[in-house]
Amino acid sequence: MNKTAKSPNDLMSKLQGETRYIHDMQLPGQLIAGVFRSPYPHARITRVDVAKAKEVPGVVAVLTADDVPHYEYGPTKYKDWNILAKDRVLFVGDEIVAVAAESKEALDAALALIEVDFEELPAVFDPEAAMRENAPVIHEGVGLNRPMHVRVERGDVEKARKEAYIVRGGRYYSNRIYQGYLEPIGVLAQWSEEDGLTLWAASHIPYRARETYAAALGLPEDRVRIIVPPIGGSFGAKYVLKVHVIAAVLAMKTNRPVKIVLDRLEDMMTAHPRVPLTFDIEIGADREGNFVYKKLAVYGDAGARIYWSPNVMATACTRADSVYHFRNVIAEGHLCYTNNSPTTCMRGFGNAEMLFAVESVIDELALGLDMDPAEIRMKNIVRAGETTIHGYKLDSCRLDECIERVKQLSGWERRKQLPPYRGLGMALANHVSGFRAIDPRFDGSTAVVRLKSTGELEVETGEIELGQGMSVTYARIVSKVLGVDENAITVKSGDTARYPFGIGTLASRSTVMGGNAVQRAAGEMLNRITELARQTLGPEAVFTGGVIRFKDKTYTLRDVAAWHRAQHAGDELTVKASYVPDTEMPDATYYGHPSPNYPFAAHVAEVEVDPETGRTRVIGYWAVHDSGTIIHHTMAKSQVVGAVAQGIGWVTMEDLQVENGRVLNPSMMDYRMPGAKDIPPVVVEFIEEPDPHGPFGAKSVGEVALDPVPGAIANAIAHATGKRGMRLPLSAERVWKLMNDTSDQ
Amino acid sequence: MTERSVQEPAALTLTVNRQQVRWTGDPAAPLVDVIREHMGLTGTKIGCRTGECGACTVLIDGKPVVSCLVPAASAEGHEVSTIEHLIEKEDFRALVASMLEHGGVQCGFCTPGIMVTLWAWLQDRELFNGDVASALKNNICRCTGYRSILSAVEQVIAREGGAHE
Repeated sequence: MNKTAKSPNDLMSKLQGETRYIHDMQLPGQLIAGVFRSPYPHARITRVDVAKAKEVPGVVAVLTADDVPHYEYGPTKYKDWNILAKDRVLFVGDEIVAVAAESKEALDAALALIEVDFEELPAVFDPEAAMRENAPVIHEGVGLNRPMHVRVERGDVEKARKEAYIVRGGRYYSNRIYQGYLEPIGVLAQWSEEDGLTLWAASHIPYRARETYAAALGLPEDRVRIIVPPIGGSFGAKYVLKVHVIAAVLAMKTNRPVKIVLDRLEDMMTAHPRVPLTFDIEIGADREGNFVYKKLAVYGDAGARIYWSPNVMATACTRADSVYHFRNVIAEGHLCYTNNSPTTCMRGFGNAEMLFAVESVIDELALGLDMDPAEIRMKNIVRAGETTIHGYKLDSCRLDECIERVKQLSGWERRKQLPPYRGLGMALANHVSGFRAIDPRFDGSTAVVRLKSTGELEVETGEIELGQGMSVTYARIVSKVLGVDENAITVKSGDTARYPFGIGTLASRSTVMGGNAVQRAAGEMLNRITELARQTLGPEAVFTGGVIRFKDKTYTLRDVAAWHRAQHAGDELTVKASYVPDTEMPDATYYGHPSPNYPFAAHVAEVEVDPETGRTRVIGYWAVHDSGTIIHHTMAKSQVVGAVAQGIGWVTMEDLQVENGRVLNPSMMDYRMPGAKDIPPVVVEFIEEPDPHGPFGAKSVGEVALDPVPGAIANAIAHATGKRGMRLPLSAERVWKLMNDTSDQ
Repeated sequence: MTERSVQEPAALTLTVNRQQVRWTGDPAAPLVDVIREHMGLTGTKIGCRTGECGACTVLIDGKPVVSCLVPAASAEGHEVSTIEHLIEKEDFRALVASMLEHGGVQCGFCTPGIMVTLWAWLQDRELFNGDVASALKNNICRCTGYRSILSAVEQVIAREGGAHE
C-alpha cells in the first residue's frame, strides 16, 4: 500500500526522529519567554520593580499582576488559579513576573534584574497540620484549609468491628512521584485579531484546557484554539497548565508568537507531582477470612492550588471497594491546601496509592489467619454479574481467572520454599474505562470517518494520543469494520478547531470511549459506502475486503470517493458518530455506575532483598489482565510492561523530596528513575472475554496495569524480610531500617 | 557591535552527517544546539541538558555520546552522526521494523536517542560485555519499561543469524 498520509503520531516517524514536538517548532518572529517565581513558600509581596528588566536590550515584554486579567478560574470546580501573583505567593515557584525576549540571553538577563521584596508569612506543609486551628490561612474562606471533605459510608462498620475475628491496619503513606515525562513542559502561543489565540500545547484534555484558558483571559471559548503536537510523555502531568496561560498573555501583549520550554531544573522545582496521601486504614475479617469491614481516613496534600487532587481523593476513598467485598465500609477524606507546589494526578489516580495500603493489609490478614494470600483474595473478590457496594455494574469480570493464571505463571507454589531474603507478593486491581464525573455535563466521545479522494480513510477524534497506542488502536477498529488495510487509515486528533469535541485522554478513556465512537462511525461509513455502490452500480454491488465487487468487476475506495464527490458538489464522504455510554453520575454519597466497564488485573512480583544494604531487586514479574478483548496486543502489552516499570521505580527508588516547600532533588540524577537494568522480564497475559460495552469487547489497560504494582512489590518485600513497610518508597535505607528494627514508620 | 566581533573566536568546522558545517557561534555551545538550532536537525531531542536522560544521544566517531554535554569545539575533527544520517542505513531499518513489532516505542521522545545507542551497539556488540541493557545505561525511557526494546534488539540479532545460515 502506497501510503500518502501519516498520523502526526506515526510510530515509524517516532523511531526515525521525524516527529516534531513543541520544542522542535518555530514560528516567524517567535519570542522566548520565562517566569520569575517565588523563592518563598508563603509570603506577602511588598514591592515588584521591573524597570531594569525592561531596559535589557532584546526584552519585548515584562508583565506583572497589574498587566494581566484576574478572573476567577481553574480547571475544576475549585476556581483558585491566577495568572500572576498580585499580593501574596503561596508556594515556591508561584509565578510573579513573565518576560518575553528576542533571545535566551536577554531573557535570562531580564529575569536576573527583576526586584521583588517579600515579607515571609508562616507556612504549612502537611495536610493534618493545615487543619489545625492556628494554621496559616492559604485561601480566604476555606475552612480548615480543607477545600474537599469526603464522607462515604455503607453498611454498619461499628457493628462489624465488634464482630470481626481479626483486624489489621495502620498508617500507610504514599509519596510524591514526579511523572518523569522525557519531554519537559512547554508551549507555543500566537495571537491575532482574526484567529484569536492559538496554543500549541501538549494537553491531553485540550477542550478542558481551552475552556479554562478562555475563562482566565476573558475570551469566548471559540477565540481559543488548542493544537496538540505529539506529546513526549505525561502520565497525568500535562492536563491544564499555568505556563500555557502565561505564554498566552505574553503573545496577546506582544502580538508575536511566544514560546516557553521549561528546562529540567525548573520543570522539577515547580513540578505538580502525584498527590501524596496518608491512609489510616483498618480491615476486619471473620475466622474464615471473609472481610467484614474496611475503615479508612485519607489525608491528601493538594498543595497551594487545586489541579486534579479532588478527583484523586474521591478515587482513593472509593474505588478499591469494587475489587473486594468489604461488606461494610466507611471512608473520610480530607484534602487540604498547603504551601507546597500544587499536586495532581499520575497514572493510577488515587487507586494505585490506595491499593498499596489495601493490598498490604490483606497480606497481613492472611498472615494472621495463616492463609495463603491468594486464597484470602479469591474468597473476597467481586465477580461477573455483580453490582458492587458503590454501584459499579460488572457485566464482565474475570478477576478469579486472573488470580488462577498468575499463580500458575509465577509458580506461586514456590512461595513457601523460597531461599532467604526472596519473596513473592500478589496484588489485585480494578480501574475504570472513562469516568462519568469527569465532566458532569456529558460523557462519551465523537468520531469522524472521512473517505478522502485518494481512497484512504481518515479518522478524526477528540481524544488524544499519548503514545499509549490510541492511533493504531482506532485504525485497527476501522480496519476490522471496513476490511480496509489498517496502514491506509490515518488517525488525526488534537486540534480544537478541526476535530470533534472530546473529553480527552484521562481515566483510561481512549480505547473504550473513543473506540466505541470510532466503531460506530466506521459502521455508518460501511453502510454509506455500500449504499452508494448500490446506487451507482446496481443492487448486487457488495463492499468486502476493502473493495466494491459488482459482477466480475472490482472498484476501489478511490472510485467510491469520486462517485460521492460527483453527487455532492465535490464534498468528501464523511460520517460522524457519537457514543454516549449508559453511565451514571455518582450521587452525593458516591454511589453510581460511572464507567461503561471495568478492567481487572492480578499481579505477582518476586524480589530479592540484600540484607546488607536493604536494597530490593525485582527479579520476576507476572501480570495477568482482564481488559476484555485486546484490540492491539503489541501496544497493550507495552502499556502493561511500561506501567510495571513505573511501579518498580515508585516502590524501590523514586521520591520527590520536598522540605519546607522546596524540592530537594530536582534533577534526573538525584531523582532516579528505572533504567534498563532495573526491569526484569515481565510476563504479560490477557484473559480475553469480550465485554458487552467495549469496542469489539475491549476494556481499558493503561492505569489498571500500574494499580497493583506497589502492593505486589510491597507484599513481596514483606514476604522476603518478614517486615511490613508502610511508607513508600521502600528504599534501601527504609528496608534496611525495617530489617534492623530501627524503623522510621 | 564592532567591539564584540573583534572578540569573536574563529569559526569552527564540524563534520555532521558527512557534511561540513561552519559554526561561528560560541565554541563552548553544546553540540546539541548546533545540531538542532543551527542545522535544523530536530531528530536529536533535549530532555534535561545535564547528560542524565540520553534523549540527545548522537554518535561521535561511531560512539554514542550525550550531545548536550559536548562543547561544539571538541567535536571538531571528529565525525558526528545524528539519527537523520542513520535512518538511511539498511540495518537501521531492520531495527525500526523490529521496534515496531515489539512495541518498543510509545511517546517517542526518548526514542531517537535510544535508536542511536542501539544502532551503535549493534555495530560493536563486544561493548558492555555484550550486554545491550548496559549499553542503554544512559538512556531513560519512561513509557515502555525497556523490555520491548531489548526484545526488539534480540530479534534483530536472531534474524541476522537466520539470514546467515
